[in-house]
Amino acid sequence: MKILFYGRLAETLGQEMNLAVEAPCSVATLRQRLVEVEPSAADALASGRVRACIRDTIVPESYLIAPHDEVEFFPPVSGG
Amino acid sequence: MGNVRLELEPFDPAAELGELTRSAAGAGGIVSFVGIARPEGKTGAPVERLFLQHHPRLTIASMREIAGQAASRFGVEVRVVHRCGDIAPGEPIVFAGAAAPHRRAAFEAADYLMDRLKTEAVFWKREDAASGSTWIEPTQTDYADRRRWE
Repeated sequence: MKILFYGRLAETLGQEMNLAVEAPCSVATLRQRLVEVEPSAADALASGRVRACIRDTIVPESYLIAPHDEVEFFPPVSGG
Repeated sequence: MGNVRLELEPFDPAAELGELTRSAAGAGGIVSFVGIARPEGKTGAPVERLFLQHHPRLTIASMREIAGQAASRFGVEVRVVHRCGDIAPGEPIVFAGAAAPHRRAAFEAADYLMDRLKTEAVFWKREDAASGSTWIEPTQTDYADRRRWE
């Protein structure tokens, strides 16, 4: 599964990661898997303010990710 | 939509105001806001550069959504230009302009545009200083300002 990270998340997890995950898996489960892979990202990923995005739509923690979905994780956004 | 743009290079806010003025012929008033990269961070330390990361699709989509809502909510013509990438202190980050038949709608639309761009435009903002880099997120005040429009 291809996973993309933005902002400060990319500093600990890299901009892109390919992770073997048994699909379908929920967003919450994917977060746990990511923490197993990169324990130093636990705090950053656990934040309720980091949202998951699939096919350009923000999805809830219970969302079941399909095998070929690309998942993006967004820290809080800020323009201006 | 030429009136909503993402810019990789420095832009000229005066030219943007000029375009909006020409485009909104017949308007009774125009309000514009220009956000500029500060030379100092919150601690007072000099900032070497601001870096605005954008998303390949969602950044411009978020800008268009916010601009469209401002236009319909206040009955104004809007122009929004936002930088991304590396921004030097003193360079414009954002231009938000609103042209309306009467001033109140233009003031409110510009205010609304900036409150939403600050908290909802899809950018990730980092300040780079000699002492290190800091990712900047909206403050509680920014979120409270956004809620005024709900």
